[in-house]
Amino acid sequence: MLDNECMVGAGDSNGGALLRNFTGMFTSRRKFLRRASFFGASVALSGAVQSCSPLFALNQAGAPAPDYRIEIAEIEWELSPKKKIRTVAYDGQIPGQLLNLTEGKPVTIEIVNHLDREEIVHWHGQWIAVAADGAMEEGSPMIAAGGSTLVHFTPRPAGLHWYHTHAMAGHDLKLGLFTGQSGALHVAAANDPGSYDQQQFIIMHDWEPYYSASGDGSLMVMYVCGSINGRMLGHNAPIQVREGQSVLFHILNASATEPHWLSLPGHRFKVLALDGAPVATEASVETLRLGPAERVTALVTMDTPGVFVLGEPRDEFRNAGMGTLVEYAGRSGKPTEPRDVELRWDYRAFADPNTVVHKPDVTIPLVFTSRFKGHGALDQWMINGKSWPNSEPIKLTSGLRHRLVFDNRSTDDHPVHLHRHNFELVSVRGAALSGVHKDVVIVDAGTTVEADLVANNRGDTLFHCHQQDHMDSGFMALFRYS
Amino acid sequence: MKRISLGLVVLAASIPCVRAQNNYEIQVYGADTVAPRTTMVELHSNFTADGQKNFVGTQYPDNHAEHETIEITQGINDWSEVGFYIFTSERSGQGVQWVGDHLRPRVRIPEKWRWPVGVSLSTEVGYQRARYAPDTWDWEIRPIVDKTSGRWYWAVNPALERAWHGPDVKLGIDFSPSVKVSYDFTKKITGGVEYYADYGSITNIASLHDQQQQIFPAIDLNVSPDWEFNFGVGIGPTAATDHWIIKCIIGRRFQWGKKR
Repeated sequence: MLDNECMVGAGDSNGGALLRNFTGMFTSRRKFLRRASFFGASVALSGAVQSCSPLFALNQAGAPAPDYRIEIAEIEWELSPKKKIRTVAYDGQIPGQLLNLTEGKPVTIEIVNHLDREEIVHWHGQWIAVAADGAMEEGSPMIAAGGSTLVHFTPRPAGLHWYHTHAMAGHDLKLGLFTGQSGALHVAAANDPGSYDQQQFIIMHDWEPYYSASGDGSLMVMYVCGSINGRMLGHNAPIQVREGQSVLFHILNASATEPHWLSLPGHRFKVLALDGAPVATEASVETLRLGPAERVTALVTMDTPGVFVLGEPRDEFRNAGMGTLVEYAGRSGKPTEPRDVELRWDYRAFADPNTVVHKPDVTIPLVFTSRFKGHGALDQWMINGKSWPNSEPIKLTSGLRHRLVFDNRSTDDHPVHLHRHNFELVSVRGAALSGVHKDVVIVDAGTTVEADLVANNRGDTLFHCHQQDHMDSGFMALFRYS
Repeated sequence: MKRISLGLVVLAASIPCVRAQNNYEIQVYGADTVAPRTTMVELHSNFTADGQKNFVGTQYPDNHAEHETIEITQGINDWSEVGFYIFTSERSGQGVQWVGDHLRPRVRIPEKWRWPVGVSLSTEVGYQRARYAPDTWDWEIRPIVDKTSGRWYWAVNPALERAWHGPDVKLGIDFSPSVKVSYDFTKKITGGVEYYADYGSITNIASLHDQQQQIFPAIDLNVSPDWEFNFGVGIGPTAATDHWIIKCIIGRRFQWGKKR
């Protein structure tokens, strides 16, 4: 049971959060902490302290020093010597620094916003409280322009997760996830033995977006180029391996809108976890498919010496930069590219061979539709006929098993994401499965996916398509505990 | 729109009321090019319901003529294409007659350049029989600018034409702009207005009486990404213009090769 509605308190033992916005008056971390202490003491003396005041708890805890500091600022970034972009990123780098956390060990992260607009950082995949989650729709506070925030939470669950902006982009392709505001958040299990020789983080992102006519008649977002770990193919440092090594790949699709495939010629991926959650069957596959925000943790045995491109098997994406080199020790020459690869992906490959589907307590149909707004406009998206913010919250009851029926009646695929929880897939295209837990699932156009959610983390919970243009065009809904 | 040697004839003719207008392809171009590994086949069917009833020199009148044009366009890459035209005419007592052929390469500003408007440049060269157009060889260059915004779309084609062989060679460059404005009533139905004109030589603009001006209320049906339907009825208000034309374009895209 993971119920942490009252997330602030001494000890903060249940995954709670300490979070507070401060304005630009605090120009340095030292001033920030001093002012925070003073303000907290003043509030305490006035006798107006509420039991759930984040600031009060911060002082009670002795204003813990941040374990990490994330700075949000505009940068110029070199994807390749011939391709420089201006964007917003964390800590002056793309992707943002790797946050290596330990499951169950509280962490404090300071976020400094150097922009002249509000920002917000979402801890994607973490079962934490609303105040820390980083979604304004749930009630998480924004980080003021020029301001700072301290976020404190207890990481769980273990696995590959990520952190990213949750700000709206609207029609501006220079905001939101179209920027470089993303990074990997790796939560190690407290007693993870780690049976591999090396681990590599692979973060895919697309750059220089533009609107283009789509096959279904509305606008869609296309990109000029892509990158892995912030560099275009041929311009990132090769991954150096030795024959016989086991390499654990932590792969994240941080694209704002684009699903991606990934292949390594001559090798197979033994999938250990999806969205950080261990899978029931560790199946080996030739190609990975990751919708926006999806993660795959996979082990690759390096048993085919040579030089290879780990990248998109689709030429147009790989030629646009989506790839990185894998070099065996002592090998050189022209890299073998992933070509003529069958693009096949099925969540059921990782399911429990003995399917066990529990009877739900509540069934919640979620019908995805769109409304045409013109050939020169984005579609308006709806869940159960309503677009955010003109929709009523969907009720959850703590402790109950809710069957979410994702019924995609549109012509687009949707990587739908649930905040602060994950769910277990129980059917895909009508075929039952179990043992695959995720927080993002691609619901292909015209298909239905069913997933079970056990409501165990009280507080408003956002549900949305993780395509930035879809979520900004109404594809969101709020789950509210009754 | 490609109307072979139209206004040039008007200016060259010594009798202003005698005019020649040949309606083989009546279309305002958008800036998009056909995608690579894709062939677009279009059939342009234009019927002149009320047009030129008399011979202009040796040129056949076009009143009640049915003009069928086959246009085959091959996408080269994401910024160029080549089109080929076969013009035919059918008129009572004459049967189906081959009129001529044109070749039309086109380049565009790639979408990846992220310009705020679509821009492309088309050039067209070709031959037509003297019975159907006094200038047997001519050339056209057509800048194209367009923009889709919400439900609205507009395109401007300020085309320039030049006769290479025939009586109008000495007239120089002819200005034949066309414009389209449309609105998406639904996802599948777009309605709008197309305007076609020929102002004569750019160094000697014809009087309004001798200009060709046509307005086509038109409908586009967007039933599939592979198909194109356009239907319109043209009204020519000036003396030098055919008064009524009915046009229809049916196009089909064929994709070739392996999608990579």
